[in-house]
Amino acid sequence: MLEALRKWRFARRLKECGRSDHASLRAYAEAEWPAASAPISHVPLLALDFELDGLGKDAHVLQAGWLPFNLSGIDLSQASSRDIRSKARLDDDAVAVHGIGETRAREGEHRHKVTDELLAALAGKVVVAHGASIERGVVERLVAQRFGIAPPVRAICTLELERKLSPGLVGTEAYRLEASRARYNLSPHSQHDALADALASAELFLAQLTRMGREMSLGSLEC
Amino acid sequence: MTMASELSEVRSFLGDAPPFDRLSEDQQSRIARRIVVRYFRSGETILEAGSHNDQLFIIRSGAVELRLAGEDLTMRLGQGGCFAYPSLLRGGEVRNTTRALEDTLVYCLPATEFHRLREESESLREYFNESETERIRAAVRDLRQKRSSSLEHATIEQLIVHSDPVSCPPEMPVCDAAALMSERDVSTLAICDEGGLLGIFTDKDLRRRVVAARFPLDNPVREVMTASPQTLPRDASAAEAMALMAAGGFRHIPILGDGGELLAVLSATDILAFLGDSAIDTGMLVAKAAGPAPLVAASAQIPESFARMEAGGFHAEHIMRFTSALGEAVHRKAAQLAEAELGPPPVPYALLAFGSLARGEQLVGSDQDNGIVMDDRVDEEGRAYFAALGERISDLLDDSGFVYCKGGIMAKNPEQRLTASEWKDRYARWIADPDEDSILRATIYFDMRAVHGDVGLAGRLHEDVVALASQSPLFVSFLARDAQRSKIPLGIFRNLVLEKSEDGQKVFDAKAQAIMPAIDIARTLALSEGLSETGTLERLEALAASGHMSPGDAESLKDAFLLVNELRITHQAEQVRTDTAPDNLINPRKLSPLEREYLKDAFKVIGSGLDSLKRNLAGGIA
Repeated sequence: MLEALRKWRFARRLKECGRSDHASLRAYAEAEWPAASAPISHVPLLALDFELDGLGKDAHVLQAGWLPFNLSGIDLSQASSRDIRSKARLDDDAVAVHGIGETRAREGEHRHKVTDELLAALAGKVVVAHGASIERGVVERLVAQRFGIAPPVRAICTLELERKLSPGLVGTEAYRLEASRARYNLSPHSQHDALADALASAELFLAQLTRMGREMSLGSLEC
Repeated sequence: MTMASELSEVRSFLGDAPPFDRLSEDQQSRIARRIVVRYFRSGETILEAGSHNDQLFIIRSGAVELRLAGEDLTMRLGQGGCFAYPSLLRGGEVRNTTRALEDTLVYCLPATEFHRLREESESLREYFNESETERIRAAVRDLRQKRSSSLEHATIEQLIVHSDPVSCPPEMPVCDAAALMSERDVSTLAICDEGGLLGIFTDKDLRRRVVAARFPLDNPVREVMTASPQTLPRDASAAEAMALMAAGGFRHIPILGDGGELLAVLSATDILAFLGDSAIDTGMLVAKAAGPAPLVAASAQIPESFARMEAGGFHAEHIMRFTSALGEAVHRKAAQLAEAELGPPPVPYALLAFGSLARGEQLVGSDQDNGIVMDDRVDEEGRAYFAALGERISDLLDDSGFVYCKGGIMAKNPEQRLTASEWKDRYARWIADPDEDSILRATIYFDMRAVHGDVGLAGRLHEDVVALASQSPLFVSFLARDAQRSKIPLGIFRNLVLEKSEDGQKVFDAKAQAIMPAIDIARTLALSEGLSETGTLERLEALAASGHMSPGDAESLKDAFLLVNELRITHQAEQVRTDTAPDNLINPRKLSPLEREYLKDAFKVIGSGLDSLKRNLAGGIA
């Protein structure tokens, strides 16, 4: 029921993109999208992570890292990492965390250019991220700022999956990316680098799937 | 500009993982981008024997095991380990089934990149070597590792000698901690608080962190202890403990009970004691034997000590040396007991051992090969004494498991009891006037060593014989020719050419078809160069050191010799355990496919050694 609703909503918003004047949005709409019933082993995935200068809704995107993968492996040759130019004054707390200072942020690429690249990478793929609602929101916001329409983003949230796979752990710390990875014998990674985080969640997802089976349907995993 | 953070972690992992650590940063960055990351759950099969593979696997986290044809354990690998490259070297054919022992993340590198790196980097080429010499060397290592795996049957609990570990609180001053160690006579102190183990403090720490560093003796021991040491649970295996010690380079491991409480501190010495006890005990028993009956009883333990050393993962050269040392002790004791019965010898003499005992290469089930050399001043009465002595020694040895020699090479026979001059004449006749038949029976005499009595008497004889032999090219060529009698059981298509044993099994004789020819090669070359070493390994080393054999050839022959001996030892230890008379007939079907491959390499090395002997020394008569 929910799945069907989700499918309908996705199709409707995709159609809207298809009517756009912007070729990149139309390409996004016309991409070959996997059916919700497809086994996850057949689904093209995109691990995605953003580094932001704050937690608010209008936080600036400082860095984007993404890499396409599927169940047969994560091909690092496809990995992309982009610093995004920002003239805004950076939130001091966030700078302390991810180490991307104003100088480097100013030297990054224009966010529209990165948005175009990202949109092309996303076409036909399902986002995998730890706390995917944030990544989905950022993509929608970036694209809306660029073309005026927020595209539908299909996503799988490893955090949500982890809550199902390891239920009943106390506190939110236990479900953070690093703590979750440790349960699957995955080594610590350098956090607060968008690509490293994207790779880390892709690895976590592969690990989680060994506990669930490769024949899980996409629809049962999507959020 | 955006590359700074890209995959830096993958690259820094490669930067620490041999052999990739030897690549340039550019190469590391390049291969980081060619990696495909895959994850396998514990128990999952990563590669199946018989399949086709086109990737090099590098373990990022976790552990795997490789089993040849899915059965025999070839190897276990942990983080940083590489596997599946042999399949890349032979075009993709996978022989090992690889399974994840833990949840495992692997980096896969495409074959094309692997081959490119091998072209670019000599150290990678060396690391991923396909050459025969390297393979056989690796084979010896593997067999050893495999044998060590029988250590896994022993748990740490069996090894712990001192339970009730000595501990102190973290705030104890260093001087008091040292006093406590001294008072309780321990080399390791456990530092504990109410919460359990905090660290350990050892003799070595005392030396390095306190005395050498002039650390104030009144400061708390907490500041110089090794904090949060690696620990093992009580039911861990001895092999795990050894691996942890080897990997971490420490000699002490705290052992924790089921509730995390400290049970004991296991030391490397505890492990060695467990492994070596049996052999050392048997040696002590032989040395203490006050009469024939205790000697026979002590000797009866040799096969069991042998089997235990095998199970304990001892290397072939050590097992041969230990077993020979025990054999030598029995010979010495037999001579001492015979002297005690017959009175002191009228003139100096020595009991000589020939063959494997002389070479220090004895396994179990050997018959006796010995003789007596008497001082030239011996008279008729003296000869009668040595006749009685020789008789008694041979009988005692026969009772002790060194059965009478079918060829009569033993002290009870008159032609084996000669004066130094008579021995020298006998050797001189063999050397000056060799014929095929006498050489066949005489080679064993050229491996000679005194095991009791006047060592100088035997030593001078040996020196003279070696000098004489090296001056006779004819004699050496007969030796070289004699060595060619051995049929190396390897066909031209690298298949094993086997003979049928009495019960119709296809077997090969590991001693006659591999060990003897290797011994012959070493002996012939050593004698031709006038080298006085007796052991095969020592002879090969001396040949390489003196420039008479290329170091590579010497190494290969040593490895081949050790490899076949490893197999012989395993075979005989199994026979000892099943109460079967030890022999050297190995059925290759009972070997693992990997061991058969190793064996073929060994045969090939020995075969080429024989060929070169024929070319260089057989001098037209072969």
